[in-house]
Amino acid sequence: MLDHSSLCMKRASAAIAAFMLYPLSTFADPQAGAVREQIDAIRQQMQQMQKTYEQQINALEQRLQVMEAEAQKSTDTDIGVPQPAPETPTAAGSGLQIGVSGLFAAGGSSVGNDELESLQAGAHDPNQNGFTVQNLELTLSGTVDPYIDAQANVILQIDAEGETVVELEEAFFTTRGLPSGLQVKGGQYFTEFGRQNPQHPHVWSFVDQPVVLSRFFGGDGLRSQGVRVSKLLPTDWYSELYVGMQNPKGETVSSFLNAAGEDIGGFTLIDRDPRNFSDLLYSARWLNGFDVSDKVSMNVGVSGLWGPNASGNNTDTSIYGADLYLKWQPVYSQRGFPFVSWHSEVLQRRYEAGDPGDPNRQTLKDWGLFTQALWGFKPGWVAGLRAEYASADGDDGTDPLRDTRKRLSPNLTWYPSEYSRVRLQYNRDWTEHLSDKTVDSVFLQMEFNLGSHAAHKF
Amino acid sequence: MNRLFYLLSALLILISPQLGHAALKVVTTTQDLAAIAQAVGGEQVQVQSLTPGTRDPHYASAKPSMIRKVFRADLLLVIGADMETGWLPPLLQSARNNRVQPGNPGYLDLSAAVPLLGKLNGPMSRAMGDVHASGNPHYWLDPRNGVRIASAIASRLTELDPANTDAYQQRLQTFTRTLNDKLAVWTAALAAMKGKPVIAYHKSFIYLADAFGFTIVDEVEPKPGISPSAASLAALVTRIKDEKIALLIMEPYYERRSAQFLHEKTDIQVAVLPQSVGAQAGIGNYIELFDAIVAELKKAMDT
Repeated sequence: MLDHSSLCMKRASAAIAAFMLYPLSTFADPQAGAVREQIDAIRQQMQQMQKTYEQQINALEQRLQVMEAEAQKSTDTDIGVPQPAPETPTAAGSGLQIGVSGLFAAGGSSVGNDELESLQAGAHDPNQNGFTVQNLELTLSGTVDPYIDAQANVILQIDAEGETVVELEEAFFTTRGLPSGLQVKGGQYFTEFGRQNPQHPHVWSFVDQPVVLSRFFGGDGLRSQGVRVSKLLPTDWYSELYVGMQNPKGETVSSFLNAAGEDIGGFTLIDRDPRNFSDLLYSARWLNGFDVSDKVSMNVGVSGLWGPNASGNNTDTSIYGADLYLKWQPVYSQRGFPFVSWHSEVLQRRYEAGDPGDPNRQTLKDWGLFTQALWGFKPGWVAGLRAEYASADGDDGTDPLRDTRKRLSPNLTWYPSEYSRVRLQYNRDWTEHLSDKTVDSVFLQMEFNLGSHAAHKF
Repeated sequence: MNRLFYLLSALLILISPQLGHAALKVVTTTQDLAAIAQAVGGEQVQVQSLTPGTRDPHYASAKPSMIRKVFRADLLLVIGADMETGWLPPLLQSARNNRVQPGNPGYLDLSAAVPLLGKLNGPMSRAMGDVHASGNPHYWLDPRNGVRIASAIASRLTELDPANTDAYQQRLQTFTRTLNDKLAVWTAALAAMKGKPVIAYHKSFIYLADAFGFTIVDEVEPKPGISPSAASLAALVTRIKDEKIALLIMEPYYERRSAQFLHEKTDIQVAVLPQSVGAQAGIGNYIELFDAIVAELKKAMDT
């Protein structure tokens, strides 16, 4: 529960953020219908972008032809006369980049599809005895002008009923060169909480999303509309601080206002809208990176989320997390192999369920962790092992999103080239909510990347 | 929420102007560019390479420490020709340094300063493997391109720091002279290689072959970036025997089993060539790189 002074603080911090981001504040508009408007605006923007880029590409092509002709003239290899550098063509970062990435899986499990869907709770997890189209992702990205870059990811998916679903997964801009190491990102985007949440399914190291993330952030991961500011801190090592605010409502913000009618811990969610700035979802992350040696690099981060939830009119949720990533690579490596990496995250959620005065009011406390190791033992081949645990205070063993759950997942991945991948994964589940207390599943996954392959972040 | 208030306040306070330093901060994607930039820039520059010479720069992975380096850079030197395409764009996006964004004076793509070989004409498909449309990016392995790179860097340093023009031009002349003298020595040492057929592991030595007059007739990789198979190696064995190819050259970071197999089947000599400054101990600058390459080639030819 919030007392008056902390509400003031909330408003003050919101006011500061709003002042800093004044021209961008439309993205944080909590009014209903704003999302639709935004989608239309983005669509128009994308069409506009396409037109401008086509013109630019034509212009660049002409320039290139002229330069090539000139280069032809001056390809004498006389070493004595240093030639002045020709005008640098802006090869990197210009032009609209288009990529298509497809993820398909075939699977079999010791339980039926209904039970399997409760275990594979991620919206892009393989969850069928048979075939699953996990994700077909269309990525458009590029540099808009000297000030901003932009990216849009549209996802097509075929659900368990055979219906094709379209989602605007992400659509955002980032600034290119604000002073003092600042960067602003705005639009619809994955919240930078931990290492795994902002990753798109095609860069995951396993075929499915960690159990604890499905529980806290829903099937699609935590993403919403908003703005965030990040700052590279003036330290000797890499240190970055992110603070942001986003709309708290919708299925992709499931621990917060979520969608009316959903259930959590026995409470049915009401249709609650954010009333003011202090009702938005606030996020913070502090990420640090070090080169431990020539061969080992390390990232350590802590993250936090604060926002309202819809189990009542005055109820809040907070989520905290810590993450660690270590990677070893020898000084000599071919195509980035061999390597060993280790990635772990632990998350804890405090969910106030029910308004003050409600006889059923309680505070739900959940936590979970996952730890995963990958070993790239020869070029193109990676063996992985992931262990997970999730549990909740006061669960009665019937709620698939709150029972005590353990999962162990070994897998083997083969990359025939940089652009395709075949992955075999076995899942051993220990669960309480099903009549089978242990479940075995096997998945075979195929991925392809067409067009410009989105480069991966560290 | 108090926490957030403090975080935001801290953020505002941290907006402090970056203090200028005397030496220009030059960041390069490879150690070869770093070595040449150091030779031209001398004490007026402070040079850092993002990748070590021991690793294939095409497959570098972006690390947080790189963000710090690029964030602080005054000049970013890149190989270009798609060499860093897998990791540089997101790095530039995270580094939020407008000085070194493409198109600004702090960004220099050296592939524009040299005549690129291996440009592809006609239809191109990824079925051809890992191909670069704009040309082969391993151009630093021709010492004549070393002069072109140095010259382009000197012009850019002059533009960014006109006060030290004389120092840059003087060092460029020294570098060019040394490289010219050395080139005569290297060419003489490898005179016996002129016109000889050679097999390379990867399509990365065409500039070296061009500089010293030998011909690369085939690669161990059936297609660029695609690992050899038993069948492709068997075909190579036949070709090596038929055409009496005596030398196989490769970088230190590739697997040695395929080369060993070919050596056992055909008696072909294998020369493991350092492909970059820093690839082996004792190679600290651009001249030493070619000293080492020439020594390895000579050793393999004399066996």
